[in-house]
Amino acid sequence: MAAEPVKRITDIGPPSYEKFLHPVIKKNYGLWKYHETLAPGVLCHVAESGDKLFTVRAGSPRLLSVQSIRLFADLADKYCGGYLRFTSRNNVEFLMDNKDNIEALKKDLLANGFPVGGTNNAVSNIVHTQGWVHCHSSATDASGIVKAVMDALYDRFTHENLPAKLRIALACCLNMCGAVHCSDIAILGVHRKPPKVNHDTLPKTCEVPTLIASCPTGAIRPATVNEKQSVEVVEDQCMYCGNCYTVCPSMPLNDPDNDGISIWVGGKVSNARTTPKFSKLAIPFIPNNPPRWPEVVEAVVNIVEVYAKNAKKYERMGEWIERIGWPKFFELTGIEFTRYHIDDFKNAGLTYARSTHIKF
Amino acid sequence: MAVTHEALADEMFHMVSEYYGKKNLKAGDLTKAMIAKYGEAECTKDDCKAAIRILMDSGRCVYSYFGGSFITLPHKEGAAPD
Amino acid sequence: MADQKRDTKLLDELEKGPWPSFVKEIKNASKTSPVCDDLLGQLELSYEEKKGHWKHGGIVGVMGYGGGVIGRYSDVPEQFPQVAHFHTMRVNQPSGWFYTSGSLRTLCDIWERHGSGLTNMHGSTGDIVFLGTKTDELEPCFKELGEAGFDLGGSGSCMRTPSACAGMARCEWACYDTLKMCNDVTHQYQDELHRPPFPYKFKFKFSGCPNDCVASIARSDMSVIGTWKDEIQQDDAEVAAYAAAGMDIQNDVCANCPSKCMKWDGKKLSIDNHECVRCMHCINVMPKALRPGKERGATILIGAKAPIVQGALLASVLVPFVPADELMDTLKELVSRVWEFWDEYGKNRERIGELIQRVGMSNFLDAIGLDPIPQMVTAPRDNPYIFFKGEE
Repeated sequence: MAAEPVKRITDIGPPSYEKFLHPVIKKNYGLWKYHETLAPGVLCHVAESGDKLFTVRAGSPRLLSVQSIRLFADLADKYCGGYLRFTSRNNVEFLMDNKDNIEALKKDLLANGFPVGGTNNAVSNIVHTQGWVHCHSSATDASGIVKAVMDALYDRFTHENLPAKLRIALACCLNMCGAVHCSDIAILGVHRKPPKVNHDTLPKTCEVPTLIASCPTGAIRPATVNEKQSVEVVEDQCMYCGNCYTVCPSMPLNDPDNDGISIWVGGKVSNARTTPKFSKLAIPFIPNNPPRWPEVVEAVVNIVEVYAKNAKKYERMGEWIERIGWPKFFELTGIEFTRYHIDDFKNAGLTYARSTHIKF
Repeated sequence: MAVTHEALADEMFHMVSEYYGKKNLKAGDLTKAMIAKYGEAECTKDDCKAAIRILMDSGRCVYSYFGGSFITLPHKEGAAPD
Repeated sequence: MADQKRDTKLLDELEKGPWPSFVKEIKNASKTSPVCDDLLGQLELSYEEKKGHWKHGGIVGVMGYGGGVIGRYSDVPEQFPQVAHFHTMRVNQPSGWFYTSGSLRTLCDIWERHGSGLTNMHGSTGDIVFLGTKTDELEPCFKELGEAGFDLGGSGSCMRTPSACAGMARCEWACYDTLKMCNDVTHQYQDELHRPPFPYKFKFKFSGCPNDCVASIARSDMSVIGTWKDEIQQDDAEVAAYAAAGMDIQNDVCANCPSKCMKWDGKKLSIDNHECVRCMHCINVMPKALRPGKERGATILIGAKAPIVQGALLASVLVPFVPADELMDTLKELVSRVWEFWDEYGKNRERIGELIQRVGMSNFLDAIGLDPIPQMVTAPRDNPYIFFKGEE
């Protein structure tokens, strides 16, 4: 047996949130009465006790260096007694009990390049995945597209002038680490070609049974190539998820000419007014065009602007489209309707028009 | 309890070694095999959980992720650079 | 160190424009971390070639854990040796993502010593993501995290790191204590979080009200969404104040009510609470005047997931209402039965939602000992292919 192992600290779980709560939060925990929006990105929560908690929300690129996190810590010390939090959409929120600090904090944030906004009827930060910065199966970059799109929608982040909230999300392949499938606008990276098997390296780097088992659709079969054990891909069954590449580096599916972006619209998770819904296909494919993906930016901005102009107050993207109908959506946005828009997976018939309710 | 956790861990290790390169085993596969062998009266799910912890903490096996988590022998993986 | 030796003319384009730039973040970090310089180089190559250059690593981790570390290797290590290994560590965030400046600095110091200095605040599931380190640094980094009171989150076929909305810490709509639930569940199931026991991942997300700020209904295998049973709390003076301030209560509030349970006669708002579906619209629009009722608790839903493998699913109702003070016990009991069933019948990579689709909700309910109730469906079946049980 090996030598007595050093005692390791394991299974302690996360530190308790209670250690990190602002004194005003601790005092009024569960006793909040209402809130108001003082300006885009600035909230005021009022407790039954009359105490007030002010929140200043700033956008971040999600990918943060320790230098920027330390800057946030310094600002929290300067204005908030050291208390801050992050939101589920990668914004940073500074929490304070002194209203007089709001303007100075906003100024410091802006001077350091972090815009204040993202509340209520504004575009919030784009939830996104790793892309080429860190992912092995990505069909596109994530951070670069987000940066380019948010540059174009910057004023929509800092102003609350949309009909309702607008939530954009990006996932760099259909594994959807970002689970973007219920967003007002989803930007989704897609591969369009099956993996290319490297029969020379495969026997040395991969276990064939593991590889075969990795395919969700059973599209990978054993094969003998040049007298060596390898695999073949039944191309018709491949939906380009990249799981085989996860298991076996000899199955690359990255393809500069065929990888790109699809755009989906009209999903939501909130139960407000209408029930939660999936995003639906708007644009099946736009080629990757780094560094700033101008075609993707243009497509997203177009959808946002057509929505902003036509939706009624409080209507989310999907609610607006349901009211006007999908034909009108395609007409107003000028997006082409193609064969790819018609579902052909399981239960596809549920999305076929099964009535004569047609607008002309 | 008739079987000790250490004995279960040893047995699981033999099973992983035997299947190595042929079939990847999950924690659930090892648990089911042990319960099938000893019967639920002698070997519970919690016993298997404790045994797996002993097995993994000893370093004789490691977890692997191939689109699902498995228990395997330590090895140099194909994706790692030389 | 700080000299700009790397030519990144494509990435430099992403330093332009008003939105904060991730390229600036990587360049910032590269001042103290040479790893980031090779990361910039490899990323620039991806931008030139329009393809990624990472390979997945399946077995790196800290001793004894099967979750919390994602292995990553460069496929061009000769060109960029500093990122030949570039593994991610998922660090379990405190509930609701609340921090003090001191705790953030501690995390930054640890990560600067043991990794690239780049993070995601936060990853998609909610963890603090430490982005990029070498295999040899995993164990020392884990040790320092533990000494600072932090632990790793889940990955692979683990329970994944649970997450929660701000809840009672800063929201008048929280119908149960999401932060406490999230923290308690995370601590209760440390073994399941760290040592993958399941057919595939299992996610919990805790939202305090039906606005569902953590997207629980779309993204969690077990979704807990706050709601209430009694009447919406109403302050008539504040309703009148909204009207006086120019709000069109008929159009903005009543006309948007999905169950049309509200009337506005120009002076008084009346709500037929029995018809209310607790959608939150009226409360969202008039937070000073309307609030969720006092008999608070949560709806428990099951089975949401992203597309892989069999297609995306939204969560569906399992228990329509559990009072807030019974929530933890009810959830624990349900979870143990659900996991038991999933352990027994789930195939590798089959999420609980997919298993329910495969075996049928009725069989699933039998197995976990819940009676079928009409709140679980939008409508009864419309096909006559009923498989009657032998004894009936």
